[in-house]
Amino acid sequence: MAEVRLVDIEKRYGNFLAVPQQSLTIEDGEFLVLLGPSGCGKTTTMRMIAGLEEITSGDIQIAGERINDKPPKDRDIAMVFQNYGLYPHMTVRQNIEYPLKLRGVDKAARTKRVQEMADKVELGALLDRRPSELSGGQRQRVALARAIVRTPKIFLMDEPLSNLDAKLRVTMRAELKHLHHELGVTTVYVTHDQMEAMTLASRVAVMREGRIVQLDTPKKIYAEPANLFVAGFIGSPSMNLVDGAVRNGMFRAEGIEVPVSLADREGVVIGIRPEELEIAGDASASINGKLYALELTGDSTLVTLRSGQTMLCARGPADFEAPIDAPCHLTPKPGARIHLFDRASGQRLDGTRH
Amino acid sequence: MRPAPFPIGNKFCPGDPDVKEKTLSYALLIPAFIIVLATTLYPLGYSFVTSFREWDLTKQRRPSGFVGVENYVHAASESGFQNSLWVTTIFVVTSVILTLVLAMSLALLLRRKGRMHTFTRIILILPFAMSPALIGVSYRFMFNPEFGVLAKGIGAVFPALEGTPWLASPDLAMAILVITDVWHWTPYMTFMCLGGLASIPRETEEAARIDGASNLRIIFGIVLPQMKGVLLVTAVLKTIFALKMFDQVVTLTGGGPGTSTETMAFFIFNVGFKWFDMGYASALAWILTAIMMLISAWYVRMLLSERKMAKA
Ligand SMILES: Nc1ncnc2c1ncn2[C@@H]1O[C@H](COP(=O)(O)OP(=O)(O)OP(=O)(O)O)[C@@H](O)[C@H]1O
Ligand SMILES: [Mg+2]
Repeated sequence: MAEVRLVDIEKRYGNFLAVPQQSLTIEDGEFLVLLGPSGCGKTTTMRMIAGLEEITSGDIQIAGERINDKPPKDRDIAMVFQNYGLYPHMTVRQNIEYPLKLRGVDKAARTKRVQEMADKVELGALLDRRPSELSGGQRQRVALARAIVRTPKIFLMDEPLSNLDAKLRVTMRAELKHLHHELGVTTVYVTHDQMEAMTLASRVAVMREGRIVQLDTPKKIYAEPANLFVAGFIGSPSMNLVDGAVRNGMFRAEGIEVPVSLADREGVVIGIRPEELEIAGDASASINGKLYALELTGDSTLVTLRSGQTMLCARGPADFEAPIDAPCHLTPKPGARIHLFDRASGQRLDGTRH
Repeated sequence: MRPAPFPIGNKFCPGDPDVKEKTLSYALLIPAFIIVLATTLYPLGYSFVTSFREWDLTKQRRPSGFVGVENYVHAASESGFQNSLWVTTIFVVTSVILTLVLAMSLALLLRRKGRMHTFTRIILILPFAMSPALIGVSYRFMFNPEFGVLAKGIGAVFPALEGTPWLASPDLAMAILVITDVWHWTPYMTFMCLGGLASIPRETEEAARIDGASNLRIIFGIVLPQMKGVLLVTAVLKTIFALKMFDQVVTLTGGGPGTSTETMAFFIFNVGFKWFDMGYASALAWILTAIMMLISAWYVRMLLSERKMAKA
């Protein structure tokens, strides 16, 4: 049992409020992903769990025990640091071995385990190098190996795959997913990569300026963003968000008319994901404007339409072609999710299924 | 203005302002170069030549007869020099080790930024701001058995030591000489160590804390290994300063009691300006220089291999 409970924690650096008072429970065996823009307090939150950063107020409990005053080494955690924190005077082997050595694992078992880990992160051939002789991505993998060499109560991983190439990232992601399945260790994971968040997480916590603005399963976060911030942050390319008003069951903005089930209201923002828009043949479509840009991404084409001041993006077929500035029409796919938000508060407005 | 169609290619134009500028900058360096030559290289060369000649300052105005390596051979058997070599070795070894250990420990203590941050650092720099000659004089007063503050203070705490003739005993005099030197140099070396500590990435220690290392283990297993380069440089500097140490001997012990604190620098000074044997003094000075160069070369080699380990 290693449930992590943050109760009314708060973190200030002098007068700067890095993480405002809030609570968070990470369930036993859960894979929680912290997602948010740079500087929103993800690392700070992790460091508080690790015991590297004192909390200004509140309590941290691991497996039901209050551990505010316990030093990091007694919390039984393993951590991947955002900037690795490798021991520069030790070889890769010694780096990975160090946590085992400190916990008194005998030599033979250590050697075997280190080799296993090195193979897992594809570094088997580099065991006798020093960190300064490695590339950024290789260093990062050493840091990862050093963290997973032991089975702790909690894994804390701060962007552990950020420096890897696309291919290796996918491999490592699968490796981590498997590891989590195998060991079932409670994991807190920071990433900027939404793909990683979506594929790995049991739950995602989206943070903004230190505050968790939505905590839900990846599916729910994607399908029902709680507010404008989450709506704009999750998804790539990001959700189209257009200011307008609702009149007689119809959302209207310049060049846009979409039927919605919402009472008449001013100051509404509509949100439609690019992948839920399709290119229509004629001007009877919901969204009309001129073609602004075409970007081929490989399996599809991103079509950007401009109507007055607003731009909308749609994911069209890869073979779509049209001259720039030609009239262009988009329409929500059948069954597409139309999201509506209140402009002033940014909160989601209900009754938006259509 | 000359036309400059390719501003980058103008290096090849004859009479180019760049070339003139370079000539001018060399010309401007000449006076400084001459001064260095006159004040450093000339005396060095002169003393080197002198070391192969006989020159009794009481009788001759300049070096006279060439005596080959006689001055150097003499040094190999002369007891005064042998003694100074031994005294210097003891002094250098003890003061370098003590200074480094103390400086490193202080740096570890002062590392964390607390409320006393600025205050402790100002206090710390004071001993280094004092002139070594003055330190010698003041320590001599403080260890005076009749009225010295330290002598009396120690006597008050340990009555058995009351009235100990501190500077009259060879071993104690050496100990006090070492103490004054350590006291003088520790602050400076502490700052060097603080600089080194500040350059260690914070995450390495944090990772060790999470991996389960005790504080002591972090210091010896993580921090000190990363300080190796800085500690080596500190050791070179301190060794050279200790080899050259002169002021405190003059003002604190005067080389005594007997010849028990006659360091090489002090002995060479005596040979040259008390006994006026300039040839022998020059030879000894060159021996001291050679020792310093050897030690520095050894340190530099260690440093380079350390760099290689950290980098390559
Ligand atoms: N030691 C510190 N002193 C003062 N402010 C700090 C300190 N550490 C972090 N902060 C501030 O706290 C906020 C959160 O920082 P944190 O490192 O947690 O961000 P992050 O979400 O991890 O960002 P990134 O994705 O860029 O790593 C930032 O605004 C940062 O400037
Ligand atoms: Mg961070």
